Amino acid sequence: MSDVNRSLHTLWTIFKHEFSLYWISPIAYLVGAAWLFLSGFFFSRSIGAFNQGGFGFGGLEPSMSYTLSPMAFLLMFLAPALTMRLVSDEIRSGTHELLLTAPVRDWEVIVGKWLAVWGVFSVFILITLLYPLVLVWRGSPNGAQIFTGYFGYWLWAGTILAIGVLASAVTQYQLIAFMIGEGVALFLFLADTAGSLVNNTLISTVLTQLTVTQHYQNSMLDRGLVSAVDLAYFIGLSAIALFLATQTLNMRRWRA
Amino acid sequence: MIQVEGLTKYYGNYKAIDSLSFHADAGEIVGFLGPNGAGKTTTMRILTGYMPPSDGRATIAGYDVYENSLEVRKRIGYLPETVPLYKEMSVWHYVDYMAGLHGMRGNEREDRVDEVLDKVGMLDRANSMIDSLSKGMRQRVGLAQALVHRPSVLILDEPTIGLDPRQVREVRELIREVGEERTVLLSTHILSEVSQLCSRILVINKGLIVAEDDPDTLSARLSGSTRFYVRAGNVEPDALAEAVRGVKNVVEAHASERGVEVTSAPDTDVRPQVAAAIVKNKWDLLELKPMGMSMEDIFLQLTTEQDGEMVMEEEEAL
Repeated sequence: MSDVNRSLHTLWTIFKHEFSLYWISPIAYLVGAAWLFLSGFFFSRSIGAFNQGGFGFGGLEPSMSYTLSPMAFLLMFLAPALTMRLVSDEIRSGTHELLLTAPVRDWEVIVGKWLAVWGVFSVFILITLLYPLVLVWRGSPNGAQIFTGYFGYWLWAGTILAIGVLASAVTQYQLIAFMIGEGVALFLFLADTAGSLVNNTLISTVLTQLTVTQHYQNSMLDRGLVSAVDLAYFIGLSAIALFLATQTLNMRRWRA
Repeated sequence: MIQVEGLTKYYGNYKAIDSLSFHADAGEIVGFLGPNGAGKTTTMRILTGYMPPSDGRATIAGYDVYENSLEVRKRIGYLPETVPLYKEMSVWHYVDYMAGLHGMRGNEREDRVDEVLDKVGMLDRANSMIDSLSKGMRQRVGLAQALVHRPSVLILDEPTIGLDPRQVREVRELIREVGEERTVLLSTHILSEVSQLCSRILVINKGLIVAEDDPDTLSARLSGSTRFYVRAGNVEPDALAEAVRGVKNVVEAHASERGVEVTSAPDTDVRPQVAAAIVKNKWDLLELKPMGMSMEDIFLQLTTEQDGEMVMEEEEAL
């Protein structure tokens, strides 16, 4: 068995395990319900705005922005709730000892778990693809924009979930994991505000570039663009979070 | 199969194990005996690749446990002290998951999960939630998990802790059975366990190996005082014990099912005097049989020689 083959097998095993565990825990259903309720609320409100011209869309140009933009913000509450138990629970119950003594690498454990929770969230996102179908049925929205809006949202979910996995690896307490995840996500929303208060061009540029609004709302969602910078932002942040989570898990061996 | 040289582990400034050296050959069941906090779990965690040693080295099947951790982990089955179980999973899926982590796949894996559950006597509970199982059953599921990938080395940390006597017997039976074709390293602070199961015993105390031998030799080596049973006809055991207590250098004598148990002062042999006393009383001497030192005694002696204050802790542990 080649090394790549072995890694893929391990990732798939961990993914399957974690993914199925989610569907027997109440938290996935709570988060899923919250996601559907809130996105449904924002979408139906936006339908009202599109309809102002009478029957058929005559008001605002139909778009998913009015739904996905607030949902991108609310993700910082939903995602850490899904990830908070992912690693911390194993540490508290001692099952991490099995994972750390099984012939699997630490990064495979972390990435496998992350793919599983991202998979769960992808299911939630897929359900809401009904909304753009409604838009297409009643009007003529910008298809490219809807695609990049959803694609960007999916990437942002992956990023914030990776941060949540890191938070969960840091502590054995779920609540602390939740708060760390939420804190980092909040920072990624408010960094540009902080940047505008700083009187240093370099720092404020960095802070602005760190802000998710810069790469999602102002770019992929509203302008229907996929730029290399935006992709690098999401992929880079995810990779950094997963790398740090792996290191954190590895450090437990030394501190144990 | 297991080779350990100068293994040392510090937790901060605390030395949990101090240059341990030992080995276990293929097919051996080696017992790791020591009180709580002696360093048994630490040693096992290093051997399983859970944590790195501070100094020294250990190899399993020729692979270094730190440098070549993944190769080592493929070859060992590990049952930690608190059996790590996913309580919300079914028995079958749990063992199947562990088999998957060990790289097993497809039909072979499914058949093997059935087989190993059958071996530990849990096949009829395969679909039960782990949460609903008794402690003894959980221990057996833990053992199934450790066996599923057919490891050549089994490392079992306190495998019978917290079980009732019947469950203890079942689990021991199981260990003996699986130990026939594997190298087993098991830790315990229960003395009778090692003498029943193990071909070799390592007594560890405060991170040091204080004795290493097979149960019989260890027992013989340590019995400086003679202990024996004596039986005689036409006398009540209690009266016999009374009379034997009067003999010089007899430390203790009391009646038991097998006769009167007699213990002499260290480095003395009182058997001739005891026999003489019986003859003098005109009783019929039926039997005078030496008795090995019990593991309990060895254990107490070994560790108390090191440090007087350990006695209290050990008694609690027993």
